[in-house]
This record gives sequence, C-alpha cells and structure tokens, in this order.
Amino acid sequence: MAIGHRLLCIPILITLTAFPAFAQQAPPADPKIDQLEKKLDELLRQAAEIRQQLDSMKGAQPETVPDLTKIDVPAAATAATSTETPAKETPPPALTDVQTVENVSNPGASKVFNPDISVIGNFFGKAGQRNSIEYGEERPAMQLEEAEVAFEAFVDPYAKAKFFLAAGPNGLEVEEGYANFVALPKDFTAKVGKMKATFGKANTWHTHVRPWVDQPLVIHNFFGDEQLADNGISVSRDIANPFNVFIEATGEVFSGSAGGIFERVSDNDLFYNGHLKLFRELNENQNVELGTSYARGTLGNAGSSSYGGIDVTYRWKPLQQGLYRGFIGRFEAMVNDNPLATNNLKGFYASGDYQLGQRWFAGARIDAADRLTDGATAKDRGLSATLTFWPSEFSQLRGQLRRTKYGSLDKPVNELLFQLQFAIGAHGAHTF
Amino acid sequence: MKRIFIIGALASLLIGANAQAAEKLKVVTSIQDFASLTKEVGGDRVDVMSIAKGYQDPHFVEPKPSYLLLLRNADLLEVVGLELEIGWLPPLLDQSRNNRIRPGQPGYLDLSNGVTILDKPSNVNRSMGDVHPLGNPHYWLDPVNAVRIAIQIQQKLSQLRPADAPYFAQRLNDFKIRINEANKRWLATMAPFRGAKVVTYHNSWPNFAKYFGLDVVGYVEPKPGVPPSPSHTFDLIQMMKANKVKAILMEPYFDAKTPQSIAERTDSTLVVMYPSVGGAKSGTDDYISLFDLNLSNLVKALRK
Repeated sequence: MAIGHRLLCIPILITLTAFPAFAQQAPPADPKIDQLEKKLDELLRQAAEIRQQLDSMKGAQPETVPDLTKIDVPAAATAATSTETPAKETPPPALTDVQTVENVSNPGASKVFNPDISVIGNFFGKAGQRNSIEYGEERPAMQLEEAEVAFEAFVDPYAKAKFFLAAGPNGLEVEEGYANFVALPKDFTAKVGKMKATFGKANTWHTHVRPWVDQPLVIHNFFGDEQLADNGISVSRDIANPFNVFIEATGEVFSGSAGGIFERVSDNDLFYNGHLKLFRELNENQNVELGTSYARGTLGNAGSSSYGGIDVTYRWKPLQQGLYRGFIGRFEAMVNDNPLATNNLKGFYASGDYQLGQRWFAGARIDAADRLTDGATAKDRGLSATLTFWPSEFSQLRGQLRRTKYGSLDKPVNELLFQLQFAIGAHGAHTF
Repeated sequence: MKRIFIIGALASLLIGANAQAAEKLKVVTSIQDFASLTKEVGGDRVDVMSIAKGYQDPHFVEPKPSYLLLLRNADLLEVVGLELEIGWLPPLLDQSRNNRIRPGQPGYLDLSNGVTILDKPSNVNRSMGDVHPLGNPHYWLDPVNAVRIAIQIQQKLSQLRPADAPYFAQRLNDFKIRINEANKRWLATMAPFRGAKVVTYHNSWPNFAKYFGLDVVGYVEPKPGVPPSPSHTFDLIQMMKANKVKAILMEPYFDAKTPQSIAERTDSTLVVMYPSVGGAKSGTDDYISLFDLNLSNLVKALRK
C-alpha cells in the first residue's frame, strides 16, 4: 500500500519539478511556501528512494520464473552419451561445387600432453651444537638443500609415468622415476623403474611429506638419507575379504645395489622386498593402519642381510572440524640381521602430531636405533619436538628442537632445525 | 524334511535377493548431492554411495584406502570436476584397480560439463589464493543446474542400463515436476529479498546468490582458502556497516568464531548454510529439503 501511495506521488512530483520557475517566483518569506518546500524536498527524497528500489528490483528480478521441467543441458555435454539416432545427413554437393575448407590450426593444442610439472624447494637451516655424525664437519648453517622437480602424466591407456628429480648441492639425481601400470588384469598394479622400496612408512616418503625436518634415527642409521631405493619392479594387489578391511600385498624385486644397504656381487644378487598393509576405519573419524615388511639381499662379500619391520599408524580427524583438528600417531620398528654386526640391529620411532588450528601443527617424537660404526654397534637415542605453520597449502614453515644422545659420543647433541618448503606448479596428491 | 524345505526356501530367497542386488548399478559420487540426485533418477535400480559427507569440506577429503573398497566395484563414478577433487581423487583412482571409472571411460561422469559455471577466471595465479582455474565448482547450489545434473545422470544411467531407460526417464520427469513446484515456492519466498546484500565465508555460493538475486559484497576469507586476518576483518566490518549487510552465510565446517564476532559488530546475523545434502543432522535428506532448510534459515536472518 505504501509503495502504491508513493508511486501516485511520482507524477505529481514530476509535474511540480517540471515548473521550477513557478517555485522560484514565490515570495520566500511566506511560511506556507516554506512548508510546501519542505514537503517537496521530502517527496523528492522519497521519489529517489522509490526509483532506487525499482531499479534494483528490475536488475535482480528474473523476467519469468523458470520452468524447471523444460530445462535441458547443452548439447556438448550430452554428445558423448546420447543414444539417439544421428540426424539424417544432408546430401553432398556436386563435386563441381566443392571449395576448400579453412581449418584454423591451434599451434598450442599439443601442449595438453605436457606432463604436470612442479618444483618443491626445501630450504634447511640448523643452529646449536655441531653434529658431526649426521651432518659432518662442513655443513653450512643454512642452504637450499633440495629442489624436487616432479613430472607426471599418462603414458598411454595403461600406465602413468612419474619422475622425481632431486637437485641439491651435490648435483642432480633421479630420486624416483617409474612407470605405474594402473590398469593391469586381476586387480594388479605395478611400478617399473627406480623407486623407493615399499618398506614401512617413513622409507616411502619424499622430503615434503615427512612430518619432521629430519629422518628418524632408525631410517638414518639403517638406510641413510637416500632411503632404501633401487631400480626394480614392484607389483601390488589388494585382497578382497569379508571384514571391510583394505588389505594390500606388495612384492618387489630390485637390482641389488642400494647405497651400502645391499651390494650385489654377481648379477644375480637381487634384493627382494615384501609389504603387507591392512587399513580399517574404526569410525568415520578414526582409522588405523598396520603394515609389516621384509627385505632380503646380498651385502657384498659379507653375506646376506635382511630387514624386518612393522608400522602402525592411528589417525583421528573429525570430518566436520577436519580443517582445524586432527591427530596422527605413528610407530615403526625395524630389525636388521646384518652380517657385519654380531647381534641384530634394532631401532624404532614413535611420534604424535596434533593439529592446533587451520594452519598450525605440533608434534613430538622419540627415537632409538643401533648404528654400525667400524664393526661396533652404537646405541643412539633421540627426542624431538616440532612446530609447523602452513601459510597455505603450497608452503610450510617448520621448526624442530632435537636432542640426540649418540652412543659413540660422550655428550648429547642439542640442535634447532628449521625448514621452509615451497611448491610451485601442479604436484599430484600422494597416496594416503 | 520340513527343515530341508525351509532351508531351501531361505536359500532361494537369498539367492534371489542377491541376484536382484547384483543387477543394481553401483554408483559412487564425490559429493552427497549427486548421490541424492542419482537416487531420485535411479530409484531402486541403483546402489549409491558418496565419498565426501555433506558436513565435510569437499576440497579436503582424505584419500583413505577404505574408499578404494567402494571404487573397486563401482560401475559409475560421478564427480564435480573443475578440479574440486584434485587433492584426493586422482590417487584413489590410480589405486582403484577399476578401469571402468577412469576419465574418458563410460563409467566416469564429470557433471560440470552440462551446467552453468560461474567465476571462470581469465587470468589466475596462486597469489590470488586457492582459486579454481576452471571456474567455481559449487555449481550444484542452483536449482536449474540441479535439473541439468539430473538429466546428465539419467542419460548416463540409460546408457549403462538401456533396458531401464524408460524407468529412469519416468523418474527424472517426476523429479522435474517436484523440483519445479518447490522452485516456485523458493522464488516466492526469496522475492522480497532480491538485491539483499550478504557476505559469505568462502566463495561457495555464487550460483545460489545469482539465482535468488542476492548480492554477495564480500567474503570472510581475505582470499580463497586463506583464514580471516585482523586487517581484512576490520575492513570487512566497515564495508558491511556501510552496505547494511544483514547476513553472513557460512558452511557448517568452518570455524564460527570470527564470523560470529563480525556479525555481532555489524548488527547482522550469522547463518549456517548447508552446502550439501546431509550437511545437517536432520532436514537435509535430499536436494529439495536442503533448499527448504537453507532458505528458511536465510529468510529469518534477512527479515531481521
């Protein structure tokens, strides 16, 4: 009603405003005229408001309420799935009328076959006491420790290729490079090339996936910074079962030359690795993963060496608050039957990482591992605390306080490690 | 003898039930909205499971191996596309050991192909935050697009099960009639509020806002995926006061602390809007009830 009344005023106002001279000629001292002028101002203000409302309504209101029963999808979307008979083709023109066809080529079209490319920088810094055992004597206080360059694309309908090149102060090397056959019969998948062995959890991680700046002692002492990796073939298959458990068995064979972990003497000295993984959801917020691994191969002329390991991962991530809260507990233990040691070498780590907020994480880790040094066995122990900040999904800043008691040193080594990791390009998501 | 007969009858029942279940198409969807629309069209001829829950941020789903159990046997995978699932679906597909549902195969349906996509950036880089370079992927929050999604699902189901095509077509038609009636109600409810200025937490509601004539004048996030900062929050408050913004729309999986504080300082209302079917514990069981609930909550705030 109020709007209708206001609308009625508009023509009157237009009429009044069309004769400004009339208003100007009136004696200014007359109180009635003053009142009229005030009313006129008020009416003009109201008219402006109404015009504004009308304009906004005109702009926002759809012309008609759409009839959703008549909606269709664009032809392009349905072309691939249409089962209708194609329309009858028009008869071809007489060949005397044929003209050339202008096809505009797109010189950039082949670029769609370029692989996903990414580079992840790992800037590392260290303060505190010198750690000659892990870092040697000449380690700079800070350096770009690694630039991981990754390429990933489908090779053909059967395989994906993944290359991870690690460039660092010591040069460029192929960290991993393999074809991943994702479409084999009988539910098999396979990887062929150079790769990290599927032994436990920490051995398979790239630097930017680790929840710590460093490697746990057990990985460092048993496998070294390069981890257990070699050229070989890996075959996996999941095992169906009625218990709603994801079970995956992996068998691998490698060339037998893995940086001091296995060293072949003859061409037939391959090393073998097997891994069994079980994953079960406890509920939608919690899950647990169990794994067991076994690797065996030749260690030069000393004889055969074997490694056994178990890993347990517990995760809690409430689905609705998943952006802000989460916890991951990890435990991994290994034993090495090494021909160079009198007793089996053992090691483990246990860690917990809690998400404090959308971008903040805190963690702690306890470490223990034997280390073979000049034929003797040193028992190393360590404690660490980490604090991680993610400015975005593509960068990560981390600090780690670490106290390590090396069996071959008298005093513990206290260090502050810090790390900035930053990624550009399209880096494929990693396996859970 | 009687026991043998009973056992035989039970066995034949079980076998019959299994045979019927085996005939159903196994559909896995990335979000629950697609699962709901697939149920609308597929009825009892499909078994549908969604990977992301409605109360979960679909950008950040953990690629848990348990999802592989779903994907391994799926006949059809329906995805949002536009790189919404890029952080978690590719590794699942690589490990699924199911070639039928890979991109390019008949069992893969990217539903972004047949709908209206907004916010397609002409130039994008990561300094702009987590912007989707192919356009805004929250397109299902538009009833017209919902119908387009349902049509694509009907066409795909008919392609995979030609014998059931008339059944799917009939159910699609029934759904169209029901959503069309609901749509008249929704538009009438929102008609008085066309042009109303609102703020949203994340840029998840462009299709919804455009359809119902809402004017999104700002976001709680300074940039997509970046948590609210004090300076941005201060600027947002000033802007909201100047524009007399009445409502802040937020998904249930975001932290309400900052938007609630903004609402209190700007005399506006924080409205929890459910972006997907299953987003609330009750009242969001299907696509139509999702919109009923969201619009009811929104109108209450805009009336204040």
